[in-house]
Amino acid sequence: MMDDQIVRITSRLVAPFIQLYGIYIILHGHLSPGGGFSGGAIFGASLVLIALSFNLEAGIKQISHQTASVLESGGALGFALTGLVAIAFGGNYLANRSAGFPLGEAGQFFSSGAILVITVFVGIKVASTITTLFYNIIEKEEPLGNHKQTD
Amino acid sequence: MFYILILFLLIFALFLRFIVGVELRSILTIYLLGLIVYFFSFAVAEMPTFGNPHNPAFNEVPERYLEAGPSETGAINIISSVITDYRAFDTLGEATVLFVAIAAVVATLKSHRD
Repeated sequence: MMDDQIVRITSRLVAPFIQLYGIYIILHGHLSPGGGFSGGAIFGASLVLIALSFNLEAGIKQISHQTASVLESGGALGFALTGLVAIAFGGNYLANRSAGFPLGEAGQFFSSGAILVITVFVGIKVASTITTLFYNIIEKEEPLGNHKQTD
Repeated sequence: MFYILILFLLIFALFLRFIVGVELRSILTIYLLGLIVYFFSFAVAEMPTFGNPHNPAFNEVPERYLEAGPSETGAINIISSVITDYRAFDTLGEATVLFVAIAAVVATLKSHRD
């Protein structure tokens, strides 16, 4: 879209760090401020940045429509299935300690049982939702039906 | 009492629409809106002050979350323990809202394609 060398090089340099920060926010949702929603929004914003500074094709190369929709449905489904796993372990729906998820030591990374799993699923879902929404809005309209157009 | 008064004023304003001219109507609109703001500011003044320990929001529920949260959920981030453990079903509803919203957007934007 935007044909600017400075913007392209800067966003290419910055995008991996934004993605790393988003993953950090998602994975440390039970330890520090943040969580699935905010971390997923940051990760989705990095993909939006790539699509804006290069073009839509470069963004779709990062994450295709098919992958985005699978991740989106998979995030919501994984969240719901985590609740069903809790039922299988003998707790209530979406129970954590009473279902026997290992809580670990509070403050460590591998702690809090189902919270970490749910946060990761929510993060995947929010990131792919933002990406899908952006791609669908900025995509060019295709000509109607089989009506052929010459440029 | 105030709400009944405001309701009466609104009905009165609707009634006035049909019998007065445009200029008088806009003056009356501003006057009535100012009156509504005046009465609503009483309700705002009655609200509990921010951070007061005797607020009704500081009852046994946040006390329980703050004291037993880390040991019951294993998360030292209390907000995270509330939204993904104590209120996890509510968060599932939020995720469903996002899902339905994106489905509606895609269905609307791609409805002209086949």
